[in-house]
Amino acid sequence: MLFPTATFALFFLVVLPLSWLTMPWPHRWRPFIILASYVFYSWWDWRFVFLLAGCTLWNQLLAVRIWRSTVQAQKRALLILALAGDLGLLGYFKYYDFFVSSGDNLASYVGMDLPLSLKAIVLPVGVSFFTFMAISYVVDAYRGDFQPTTLEKFAVYLSFFPHLVAGPIVRPGELIPQIETPRDPRRVDTSRAFYLIATGLFKKVVIANYLASSIVDQVFATPGQHSSLEILIAVYAYAVQIYADFSGYTDIAIGIALLLGFTFPQNFDSPYAAVSVQDFWRRWHMTLSRWLRDYVYIPLGGNRGSRLLTYRNLMLTMLLGGLWHGAAWTFVIWGGLHGSAMAWERWRRERRGPIERAETRWTTWRARIVTFHFVCFAWIFFRADSFSAAWDMIEGLFTRWGEPSPLVTSGVLLAIAVGIGSQYLPARIPRLVMARFSRLPVLGQATVLALALMLTSAMGPEGVAPFIYFQF
Amino acid sequence: MPDDVPRSPLPPLPPLPEEETRTLEQAAAPPPLAPPRGSKPRAPKADDGPARRLWSAGHALIVCVLALAIGVLLNAPGAHKSAFNKSDGWQRDVALAVTGPLAGVSHALLLDRPRKAVQAVMGRSGEDEIDTQIALPSTPVPVQQAPTQRPGSNKPGGSKAAAKPRKEAFTPKRKLKIWIAGDSLVITPGYAIIRAAGASPVMQSVGGVDGRIATGLTRPDVYNWFDEIRTRVKQLKPKVVVLDFGGNDDKAYMTGLPEGVTIDDFGGSVWRREYARRVGGVMDVINRAGAFVVWIGLPQTRSPDQTARFDVVNAVVEKQARKRPGRAAYIDTYRLFAGDDGGYTQYMRNLSGDLVLVRSADGVHFEREGGDIIAREVLKELNKQFDLTSWRKKAQ
Repeated sequence: MLFPTATFALFFLVVLPLSWLTMPWPHRWRPFIILASYVFYSWWDWRFVFLLAGCTLWNQLLAVRIWRSTVQAQKRALLILALAGDLGLLGYFKYYDFFVSSGDNLASYVGMDLPLSLKAIVLPVGVSFFTFMAISYVVDAYRGDFQPTTLEKFAVYLSFFPHLVAGPIVRPGELIPQIETPRDPRRVDTSRAFYLIATGLFKKVVIANYLASSIVDQVFATPGQHSSLEILIAVYAYAVQIYADFSGYTDIAIGIALLLGFTFPQNFDSPYAAVSVQDFWRRWHMTLSRWLRDYVYIPLGGNRGSRLLTYRNLMLTMLLGGLWHGAAWTFVIWGGLHGSAMAWERWRRERRGPIERAETRWTTWRARIVTFHFVCFAWIFFRADSFSAAWDMIEGLFTRWGEPSPLVTSGVLLAIAVGIGSQYLPARIPRLVMARFSRLPVLGQATVLALALMLTSAMGPEGVAPFIYFQF
Repeated sequence: MPDDVPRSPLPPLPPLPEEETRTLEQAAAPPPLAPPRGSKPRAPKADDGPARRLWSAGHALIVCVLALAIGVLLNAPGAHKSAFNKSDGWQRDVALAVTGPLAGVSHALLLDRPRKAVQAVMGRSGEDEIDTQIALPSTPVPVQQAPTQRPGSNKPGGSKAAAKPRKEAFTPKRKLKIWIAGDSLVITPGYAIIRAAGASPVMQSVGGVDGRIATGLTRPDVYNWFDEIRTRVKQLKPKVVVLDFGGNDDKAYMTGLPEGVTIDDFGGSVWRREYARRVGGVMDVINRAGAFVVWIGLPQTRSPDQTARFDVVNAVVEKQARKRPGRAAYIDTYRLFAGDDGGYTQYMRNLSGDLVLVRSADGVHFEREGGDIIAREVLKELNKQFDLTSWRKKAQ
């Protein structure tokens, strides 16, 4: 069930009142919201509901045992068991064929035969997101940071439909306390919720789909047939497309959760206004980057060892982050590029020492432009189907200037300008819009939203392509 | 997980925000607890700009319902078309019963004007119109006598060698123009064909890849390919049209049927006859415009049921292509993408012997390497049909 569809609208119109009506009775509300979430998830493939339920039971069982255990070695063994289950689930469904095919190709180079066969496994939607949330739960229990809750509450935490298929990756400490206490039906931040839903829909349905169909898909599929200018604009367009697609989805998810009375963490904060790659990761998919920090980077040793170890930890974290996005070596290269850039930034900062240079407007803008172009360069590997396709894009960037560029239209340039320009919008403007909206009467609010829906529907393409991040 | 991981303070990871070094409890959203009875809800503090008024859950529901109701009225023509485009069944019937009158009310109250104005600005006027008319040639394409002269020969006919029909020759100056169209299944192979054509100095893609998701030949109301093909072959004047349809046609429902014809079941005699009429008609439209048709058949998919339905579609298409020798060719992707056991496979070995992903995760569409396999077959077919190499000898 996709958010921007009539089916979801009808589903939500049923769930919203029933959720609030049952909210005062948690023993009614929790089974209801689990059922609603499972119905939402089963819309893709009902069989995977059992996978989600199994993942819930497995992690709850082990998290409780880890928490209760007083013997450190036993706690550790249970944690390893839990992680093996979660990573095994992710590895089987997402990476099995990738590793078998990569292993087979490697073996054939050295004249060996790999006795493993491919399985053509169907990837359950959102599996990367809910396994990461489950890992948070058991690791937090192991660290003593969060006491496991009841099975029912954990099932709500893991399956809550607004975040289920594409995040944000919400931590147990952020959501479970909210699940434990009935939300106040008189204090709903409706204006922020509606603002996020309306802008999220516009970003996804209009901006992302328009750029994908107008230039990105064509150029990335056949880079050899396009001019350098078209390739350059297609790379910028992809940067805007993936931002609009993913941030649009999480905006809608956060807005829907708000209408149900729940607060999710922010997931994007103007990433293309970043002044360094480090800064970019403070602003892009923020819930994933802090997950990687707390559950990969810090356990690896963080920055507590030597410089080289810190660089290694950064690199490993980003390589894993890359692989998390997809079972392909292009994603690993993408992660490696980001890891290298952050290690380089760190090395440069340490070489300079503690003396801070004064920031000027010029240096800030220069840093923004350099960072944006580095991020765009890395996106080429993220989007390309293969290394050769990525290389064709990079080569084409330099070799075909002056050729006709019919795909570079005013519409494409305008959509890119809107996508990047929106990152520099002063924060007070959306706040002002939300505040003004919140003071409109009921009919006024409904009319504004209806006009936004009309605009999105009339400007968007017929049908809606799945969100890019569903595959991750 | 190592035991010696320090918990406080956390070692800061450079790429992450300063405030995220808070403890989890600090990072957790403050749960808005239900206030004591009788207290009035208060607006949030103005620490994040102008204060927003908080509303009740009931208000949220009313705004949602009203916004959707007004939104449906404003979008009624589009909603009605979406309902019409749905697959046959009770959901479509209900959707049509609701959106039909709504579209009438919307039009009467001029509420459909803003949508039409936006579409006009976007250059997409008429997008909401429902078109089920199918215009196909009523008479078959006259069979042309293929020239019997060999390239380079001045003697017309008569000789032993001249018994072979002459292939039409193309050169870097007079390129073979290829147009590619179809449903979503054509997109990846289509781009692969463009890449392959781009590597040849005698081939040229015109019009890119016109691949439209969820369309086909059974539902002109969803997208009228019959009009599109007729218009595009006139505009682009391709010499070859590569088509891939049928992935969404495996249903017992068609619109645009001739008077008195009703479809009872998918794959039945009426269905086959009507689908053959459409496939053959599309081939004839293209042939009349002087172009050769290459029709990419449907591959086997992860679902055996779907594969069985695709077999029915393929059988009709292949028969129509065979009826038009020299004017249409059929590419059998079922055979091309069969695994070692003859069934569905997601990975295959490429020309270098590497195991590569050829089918996408959905078990239906193609990955880039799969597209390349199809492109090679299409090029083989074009080489059979046209002379794409003799220009080299002349150039030497």
